[in-house]
Amino acid sequence: MSRPSSSVRRGAGRAAPPVKNMSKSPSTKAARSNGAARRRVESRTGAEKKTAPSGPHIEHAATLPGSRGKYVYCIIEAPLPLKFGPIGIGADPSDVHTVHFRNLAAVVSDAPLEVLDSTRAHVLAHERVNETVMREHTVIPMSFGTIFKTREDIVELLRSAAEAFGDVLDKMQNKLEFGLKILRDRQQAIREVEVDDEDISRLKQEISGQKGATYFARMQYGRLVDAALESRSERYVAQILDELRDVSVASRINKPIGDTMIMNAAFLISRDRESAFDARVKSIASRFDTLTFKYTGPWPPYNFVNIRLKLERA
Amino acid sequence: MPVERSAGGTSLIDVLDRVLDKGIVIDAWVRASLVGIDLVTVEARIVVASSDTYLKYSEAVGQAATVSRPAVESKQYEEVLAENAALRAQLTRGAAARRAVRRRRTRAPS
Repeated sequence: MSRPSSSVRRGAGRAAPPVKNMSKSPSTKAARSNGAARRRVESRTGAEKKTAPSGPHIEHAATLPGSRGKYVYCIIEAPLPLKFGPIGIGADPSDVHTVHFRNLAAVVSDAPLEVLDSTRAHVLAHERVNETVMREHTVIPMSFGTIFKTREDIVELLRSAAEAFGDVLDKMQNKLEFGLKILRDRQQAIREVEVDDEDISRLKQEISGQKGATYFARMQYGRLVDAALESRSERYVAQILDELRDVSVASRINKPIGDTMIMNAAFLISRDRESAFDARVKSIASRFDTLTFKYTGPWPPYNFVNIRLKLERA
Repeated sequence: MPVERSAGGTSLIDVLDRVLDKGIVIDAWVRASLVGIDLVTVEARIVVASSDTYLKYSEAVGQAATVSRPAVESKQYEEVLAENAALRAQLTRGAAARRAVRRRRTRAPS
């Protein structure tokens, strides 16, 4: 997704100011004090790290078979260390625990230090951990496949993006995402419009009468059917969205996938309105007997959070 | 049609639809290099490129911006340009070589 540069600038402005200052103007006071903090972190790291080779050069993990990194699942607010049990990613599920910076915590587990394939097992494990943590915490989900080399790198991540994480955690406090996809049986929908739409039913009779050439009539019929299906599903979707409005905080419409899907939406719901939303979805679904509803959740608020991070050389 | 709610993790498609490019996203190449870079010692640092939350209620289909996948984000623009230039050079070398061969062939019988 390409973002307008203005939003990028705005975003950078929201990052912790000392970090920004340091990269832009190394001579400022803020940068100096920040640099001192960095050196402290470095020396501490040097003392703690015994096995992992360190140095000023980039090392590629592929050359260090068997080394371990930390896979990050999500960011939560938690002042004290937490454990979520052996539910982590990998064939031999590792213990899921937290890494802290002030009030922020990254939920992590040890993982081989290599680029992780998005296999079924890995992707589902990522989601499983998020769902487990979500039961008692507000989470900002990490996209799949982020592994850091050391615990200190994760502290560094939390520190650099502390402001953005804190801001988003506040906004997502006690909110859950639910997914709602609506599918339509095309053949059945066509039968419906043939009955309801006068022009379409007349053309259909003309064509089935087989008097003379039907080419033009067929073309016209096809166009009318498509337009009727389109406007009908738009009407359904608008109506359904309208009925879910007062039980939701926000909604996001994604592109429908495939021919039969007419709506692919995500809803952000307050935890205390969850049962109201649930009841509303079920009552809507029971009234639209020609539509199929795929209703999923609760999810971490993937569709309502978008934090983009990049790496910058000092 | 009656509907039952299913837990998030039960549909791989729904999971993939979310976890690959939503939430906190780190550039693909950064993700690959994080594995090798020791952030603290090489003084590379993570910065927030953008941070947005969507707290609006969509009116209807078509009015909301759809969430799209960053299809070509993984390859930097300069990288593509460089590759382009290299391929062009290769093409001209190939064409020149072919022309030379043709010239030799046409000259040989005479």
